[in-house]
Amino acid sequence: MTKAFVGWRLIALYAGLALIVVLLLLGSGVQPATAGARLWEGAFGSPQAWRGTLRQMMPLLFAGLSVFIALRAGLFNIGAEGQLLIGALATAMTALTLQGPVGMVVGIVVGVLAGALWTLPAGLIKAYRGGHEVITTIMLNNIALLVTGALVAGPLKAPDKQMPTTPMLDTAARLPSLLRLESANGTTWTFGSPEDPGIRALGRLAFEMNLAIPLGVILIGAFGWWLGRSVRGYEVGAMGENPVAARFAGIDTRRTTVAALAASGGAAGLGGALLVLGQEGRFFAGFSPGYGFDALGVAILAGSSPLGIVPAAFVFGALNKGALSLQVIDVPKGITGVILGLLIVAFAAARVREARNDD
Amino acid sequence: MTPTVEFRAISKRFGDVRALEDVSMSVRQGEIHAVLGENGAGKTTLMRVLYGAVRPDAGEVLLDGRAHAFRNSAEAIHAGVGMVSQHYSIIPEITCLENLMLGAEPGFAIAPRPSIDRAEAIAQRMGFQFDWKARADTLSPGGAQKLEILKLLWRRSRILVLDEPTAMLSPDDADALYASLRQLAQDGATVLVVTHRTREVVTHCDRATVLRAGRVVASLDVKDADASTLAKHIIGHPLAELPPRPMTNASGPGLTLRSVWVKGDRGDDAVRGVDLRLEPGEVVGLAGVDGSGQRELFQALIGVRKIERGDVLVGDRSLAHAPSAQRIAAGIRLIPEDRHLEGVIERWSLEANAMLGLQRRQELRSGPWVATGARRRLAEEVVARFDTRFGKLSDPIASLSGGNQQRLVAARALARDAQVILAFQPARGLDLDSTQRVYNAIREACDHGACALVVSFDLDELLEYCGRVAAIYSGVLRSPGAGAERDRYAIGRLMVGADA
Repeated sequence: MTKAFVGWRLIALYAGLALIVVLLLLGSGVQPATAGARLWEGAFGSPQAWRGTLRQMMPLLFAGLSVFIALRAGLFNIGAEGQLLIGALATAMTALTLQGPVGMVVGIVVGVLAGALWTLPAGLIKAYRGGHEVITTIMLNNIALLVTGALVAGPLKAPDKQMPTTPMLDTAARLPSLLRLESANGTTWTFGSPEDPGIRALGRLAFEMNLAIPLGVILIGAFGWWLGRSVRGYEVGAMGENPVAARFAGIDTRRTTVAALAASGGAAGLGGALLVLGQEGRFFAGFSPGYGFDALGVAILAGSSPLGIVPAAFVFGALNKGALSLQVIDVPKGITGVILGLLIVAFAAARVREARNDD
Repeated sequence: MTPTVEFRAISKRFGDVRALEDVSMSVRQGEIHAVLGENGAGKTTLMRVLYGAVRPDAGEVLLDGRAHAFRNSAEAIHAGVGMVSQHYSIIPEITCLENLMLGAEPGFAIAPRPSIDRAEAIAQRMGFQFDWKARADTLSPGGAQKLEILKLLWRRSRILVLDEPTAMLSPDDADALYASLRQLAQDGATVLVVTHRTREVVTHCDRATVLRAGRVVASLDVKDADASTLAKHIIGHPLAELPPRPMTNASGPGLTLRSVWVKGDRGDDAVRGVDLRLEPGEVVGLAGVDGSGQRELFQALIGVRKIERGDVLVGDRSLAHAPSAQRIAAGIRLIPEDRHLEGVIERWSLEANAMLGLQRRQELRSGPWVATGARRRLAEEVVARFDTRFGKLSDPIASLSGGNQQRLVAARALARDAQVILAFQPARGLDLDSTQRVYNAIREACDHGACALVVSFDLDELLEYCGRVAAIYSGVLRSPGAGAERDRYAIGRLMVGADA
């Protein structure tokens, strides 16, 4: 089969997928062009839009890395959502108790540990009893959702609030801004100043980014390096590709399974921690709109290289942000879920083609 | 006399590979005709042309002087051709009778009584006995092979093609198989046997056609040839004599097994109280039919299966309950049975695969990091050892042929500080030259103080390359008595549980 022919087949596939989106939009009574423009506008149309897109992207970087780590070890961690929630709540409570920068730093560590610990039942059951991690991590998701919901509605609830939420963190315990853009009197660039709630209330804040995204990108790069260059990374990858051969090669697949799931949970927990410290400033019921599930798509879309997580999380973040603007013109928010699903199908198809062509 | 089967100038290509090139040969009625050659010489392809499973690009097949162009196997079967492939087609879950009839049922509804009568008549003619209503998984390998032959007779085949029929059989079973083939030939059948075992050709066949790289290189009467002449035709040059092994007093730890018990996948005792001592320098063959406990024993020795009772020592050090990594560090190396599943990571490069199992060694790392230079040198050493043919070291190992993968896996096991070599069919998929090189390399490692335990289902291979051979049957290890250490029939009887 010639390369060109393969190319045409893929183009036909993409055209077909695009057609599905167009028909869906027409079905909900909107001009596709209008919807597309809205979506773009909502995600990238202004500094505020960019800020929203990046805010949506941030947790997906970490949750995506979480799923990706497990995948490299041949494990399906469907539980990033639960690990993120547990990490977020643990961080919020630690930072509220200790206060200030100390609370922030210790809070991050506690969030990571909490996310990692939350995978332990799944890891141990998989390694020593053969129970499938997909089942156990899904179950742990439900437990995490209900436990955090109960805690934040009961003992940990802010006494002065109607809603089930923890108190707000002080600015001192928040992640510092890395880059700010204000629009009140022209544009001002500020580096490293804490987010001022006053400015936010006046709606003058145009763009703001904190340390979380650069940290995520660095972490992802470091993981890729470790996976490719370290002896342990080699062993984890070997287990992911062929667990039987890994055992014959002297790799302790039980311990590696527990450790890989714990690392995966730690990454998700870190995402939760940074979401609290850098964006939300508190933990509340309904904290995650499903970052841990979007993360599955992010990890698949990322392909074989961990660096692929960054653009994948960005695309997901932009679509999630853009979807909010679509709701205004009565397009159901689910449409972006459909687009993401089709993206994954298209990507998977392209990769199968590549693999076939290698033969 | 018109030959029963005649191939005229058959050519066949698969992509860029010339599988068959202008192949002509003829087979007479009533003879047992051997088709000899290395793996990949084209033997099986030629037989599949006869069986209608492969359509040649050029040339024709004549049966009794009439040209046939089979479009599928059904037409070939109708013309009287029957084939037993290398992997048996017996379905273990159904009865022997159902297996016999499968695909050639006597009518729409199956009446068991007349079918059993006919099956019984065919079996009696061959001197076979079958419990027709028993499930086929109760059959021994020899029994399964017999049932395969009866399947051909059930279909009234008069031209029988058998692909490596003795691969799984003990010497006694193999002799019995050839005896029944001889009887069929005397009754007028024509038998084609595809094999690479020169010894059984010399003993049992009438004529032989040798293929090399898709061409016929010799066609001869067996009575004019001996095994080494045939081997010369097969590989194109005389097989080098094995160098005599020097008496060495090289020191090494050796391997000791003390009453080792191992359970199989179904909880049964797969290895039962095996005692064995391998002195440094020793190459010991472990003969036995497939499924006698070799697999479980090897898995237990490398540490991926639990040793229930007993002890395993390398030198003085007990490793029966040590993790695999410690066993590898102590010098245990494995050439695994199932290369795809146990020996390689198919999507990874040759370079990454060359390190698999050795990744913890000091010289291959600097602290927690892989020492990439050392890794590359190891990979170069491993591919050079047995002339693994490859494109680039960064190519995925799946891009290599099976034989080349086996070369890499064997070379890797011998690469660094091997003290105890566990080789499960180390020559699987290799040609005669490479087989000899691999065994020579194992013996060379042993000359330097290592010891080796080698499993093969080919007793002759073990007798040729190992210092002594023990047999395993049903998990019990038995050694031939004094004076019978190299008696293939004595060992063969131990392999099937009889007394030597």
